[in-house]
Amino acid sequence: MVSASEYFGNVWKTLSTTWGGMKITGKYFLQKPIPVQYPDERLPIPDRYRGIHYLEQEKCINCLACARACPIDCIEMDAIRHGKELEWVTFTLDYQKCMFCELCVYPCPKDCIHMGTEYALVTYDRSELNYDLLSFKGMSRDARIRKKEAEEKKAAKDAAKATKAAKAAPAEEAPAEEEKGEEG
Amino acid sequence: MSFLALVQDTITKDNVMGTPHDGGNFVTELLAKIRPEWLPEWMFILTAVGIAVGFIVAMVSVIAMWSVWMERKVSGHIQCRYGPMYAGGWHGWAQTLADGVKLLLKEDMIPKGADRALFWLAPAIVLAGIFGALAAMPLSYDWYFARMDLGVFTILALGSTTTIGVVMAGWASNSKWSLYGAMREAAQVVAYEIPLGVSLLCPLMTLGTFSLLDASREQATLFGWDCGMGWAVFTNPFNMAAFVIFWIAALAETKRAPFDLPEAESELVAGFLTEYSGIRWSFFFMEEYAAMFLMSVVGAVFFFGGFETPLTALMRAADLEGGVLYNLVCFGTLVLKAFAGVFLMMWLRWTLPRVRIDQVMTMGYKYLTPLALLCVLLTAVWEYVRYLVVG
Amino acid sequence: MTDLKQQHTPSIQPSSEEERILPSGEREFFFDVSTSDLEINMGPQHPATHGVMRVLLRTDGELVTGAQPHLGYLHRCAEKIGENVEWLQYLPYTDRYDYLSAMNNNLGYSLAVESLMPELEIPRRATLIRTICAELNRIASALIAYGTYGLDIGAFTPFFYAFREREWIQALFEKICGARLTYSFIRIGGVFNDAPPGWLKEVGMFCDVFEEKWREYYDLLVENHLFVMRTKDIGIISEEMAYDFGLTGPMLRGSGVDFDLRRDMPYMDYKEIWDAGVYQIPLGRGEKGTTGDCWDRFYVRVQEMMESIKIVRYCLEVIEAGPVIGDVPKVIKVPPGEGYVGIENPRGELGHYVHSDGGKIAVRCRVRAPSFVNLAVLEDLMPGTLLADSVAIIGSTDIVVGETDR
Repeated sequence: MVSASEYFGNVWKTLSTTWGGMKITGKYFLQKPIPVQYPDERLPIPDRYRGIHYLEQEKCINCLACARACPIDCIEMDAIRHGKELEWVTFTLDYQKCMFCELCVYPCPKDCIHMGTEYALVTYDRSELNYDLLSFKGMSRDARIRKKEAEEKKAAKDAAKATKAAKAAPAEEAPAEEEKGEEG
Repeated sequence: MSFLALVQDTITKDNVMGTPHDGGNFVTELLAKIRPEWLPEWMFILTAVGIAVGFIVAMVSVIAMWSVWMERKVSGHIQCRYGPMYAGGWHGWAQTLADGVKLLLKEDMIPKGADRALFWLAPAIVLAGIFGALAAMPLSYDWYFARMDLGVFTILALGSTTTIGVVMAGWASNSKWSLYGAMREAAQVVAYEIPLGVSLLCPLMTLGTFSLLDASREQATLFGWDCGMGWAVFTNPFNMAAFVIFWIAALAETKRAPFDLPEAESELVAGFLTEYSGIRWSFFFMEEYAAMFLMSVVGAVFFFGGFETPLTALMRAADLEGGVLYNLVCFGTLVLKAFAGVFLMMWLRWTLPRVRIDQVMTMGYKYLTPLALLCVLLTAVWEYVRYLVVG
Repeated sequence: MTDLKQQHTPSIQPSSEEERILPSGEREFFFDVSTSDLEINMGPQHPATHGVMRVLLRTDGELVTGAQPHLGYLHRCAEKIGENVEWLQYLPYTDRYDYLSAMNNNLGYSLAVESLMPELEIPRRATLIRTICAELNRIASALIAYGTYGLDIGAFTPFFYAFREREWIQALFEKICGARLTYSFIRIGGVFNDAPPGWLKEVGMFCDVFEEKWREYYDLLVENHLFVMRTKDIGIISEEMAYDFGLTGPMLRGSGVDFDLRRDMPYMDYKEIWDAGVYQIPLGRGEKGTTGDCWDRFYVRVQEMMESIKIVRYCLEVIEAGPVIGDVPKVIKVPPGEGYVGIENPRGELGHYVHSDGGKIAVRCRVRAPSFVNLAVLEDLMPGTLLADSVAIIGSTDIVVGETDR
């Protein structure tokens, strides 16, 4: 059994709290809604947004630091080294696996892999999600020129050495040793 | 008597259908003017019935479509979002239309193990009940399908037949969740028929009529002054309390939140609708929104003056009564009042949490029914005193 | 409610139609009706189970006579993965068990690993940014709990209001770390990034607005009489029961037990904040019904949002410029040893046990997940309640299935 005060108290509380709630919902009914209409207008994306990666291929030295840092091994990269220059074979990032943790970005010694602001990963086929981050395959034009220059330089040096050696035939050893640079 | 003779009899008899100043409803009246000489009587009657039925079907569809869109917009704006925005261009007005087409084209699925006949019959019964009830709704003083002296009883009786359809749907679905929904619906409707009817007795006593047309006409005068504001809630303070009770009971009758226990998404998946899809599912929704509209109409007619506003009174004073414009204004007034009620239902739905089944029963039997009876008693006293004072 | 549970005995009537004279002289009829309990699967796809959990319910009409939660639909071997990836590489996996409070998970794991590295010093700014992020995440998580509990009870709108504020928190996190749900932000030795310019100011703005909105949440749902009627006096967890089941977090405090790891086993700078008298620990006191009912647990969660706001405000006051990461090598090697650190997650005590042999990879990485422990109480709470109550009880435990299954 409920007492009379409780009985009418229940009635009063139900009606008054209902009205209290209706005031709040009514207030928001009259206000302008907050969402943006997505495809037409878009929210600004912050600078640090962790979207699809982009690679500054010119800077990359194929050191595999990002691939090693990845917890799920979704980065695959391969390049052939020609002296200082790289001939790119592959640099793929499998977005079926990638969990956008940004752990690949921090260890990069050249600061060349970044996460961009692109986020739409819509494809008709899963295999298309294996993104190729390379902007060019093989060697870049600059690298080719540099390589050619280096080769010419080397050839010239070799030729000079050869002539020097020919000149100083009796001398046994060529003293100059070719030095190796690590700059990429 | 043959069936056609019965129909003819029903349409032409004054005490059932006719008004004091004409011999039938406005469809027959209209048709009689353009009826060719050669058209036999039975064909004429069938045409009239067909047009009336078509009109009601169209009305239900339009009400449901508009209400669904309205519900989505109202809920959206209450929740700080937009709701549909694209279909049709302007604020997604054609969204329901597009959804309707989609539902029509969907595969008609009947689950394995379901009672096919009942599963098929349930939406039909649900819709038939609400069509019947809507036929008793007058559109204006001169436009109505049937002049019923017991109109409010017709609406309540036919409106609650939808329960049978819902229980049938729950049982036929062969799903445990559906069965729960159906049982809840049965229990809930039985509990709330009583306060619904009893609370309606208060304005019925005040107005002294069961007919929707007469009830509206009664509310034109406030203290003998034809100002269109003599609404039942103004002439008798207990009618306001009765309206609150009526409204809560109406929410429960139409399965609206906070009494949407038969559906109860978070508890029963979708209640009796769990196994329904496509056009059958949409029939249940049409019923729900038509029932909301109908309950709002009953509330508007018996508590809030029906067709009466100062505007109608003004038009009467300008001697426009009976004209097309006057009827249009009456119709518009009622529809606006009804949709105000529908909006109130939506506002409540998007504010309140759902009640539990035992609380539904408690509220129905222990709170609403006694309070409704109390209202009836106090209204009776008030009316008697008024009779003694005013005469 | 408990006597209903004892009363109930499943009865099976004789299936043949017969008539019997009772000793009292009355005639008893048996019809061809047999009644038995209805077994019903709530889940794995059910709106009320908050993910892919299955609760096997035995019901007698609307009355629940038995309940058995079934787990494992979301098992992803998180602990085993922890034994196979490097220390830092495990960090993104911690995001994913309680995905609603990823910052706290990062924090718990980082603190556990740091407990094995005594020489590692965490800069003060890093600690304060960690605290701000963890508390903001606690608010976000409590907002989800608030909203989804409203959904369970049948009120939709509070959910959207809660998400509106949560959206702002997510935008704040997006600005500081770039992700909206799985942050991987708090790392071993500090945090990944310093706060961008203006970020701390925006957090202060958020606090101001949130306090206003919080009042609305309170009026809209917590104080609503229909809601109170739905949640009071059901799912009562007494103090003893809470101890017996090892409940932590709001589940424990809802039963009136004054225990909060932030104060009682302080980590980071929570001791200092407590000593400064910044926050209180809200407790369930049976305001609307019995102590330890669903309403109390919900009330504790809602109150905790405000306490978190106070902590955030304090941190914003005392924060100074400085480094945000200690001296950590790129490939972390943890000295041999075992460590356990429990932190106050929004759902209870999140413990990380880590065992290192001095290498790059953990020997054992074990997680004590609060949702998993809190879930165990369901089986005892649900019998004797109505079907709708069982939904309310599941909601009030506020489980995240990603965490129970890991």
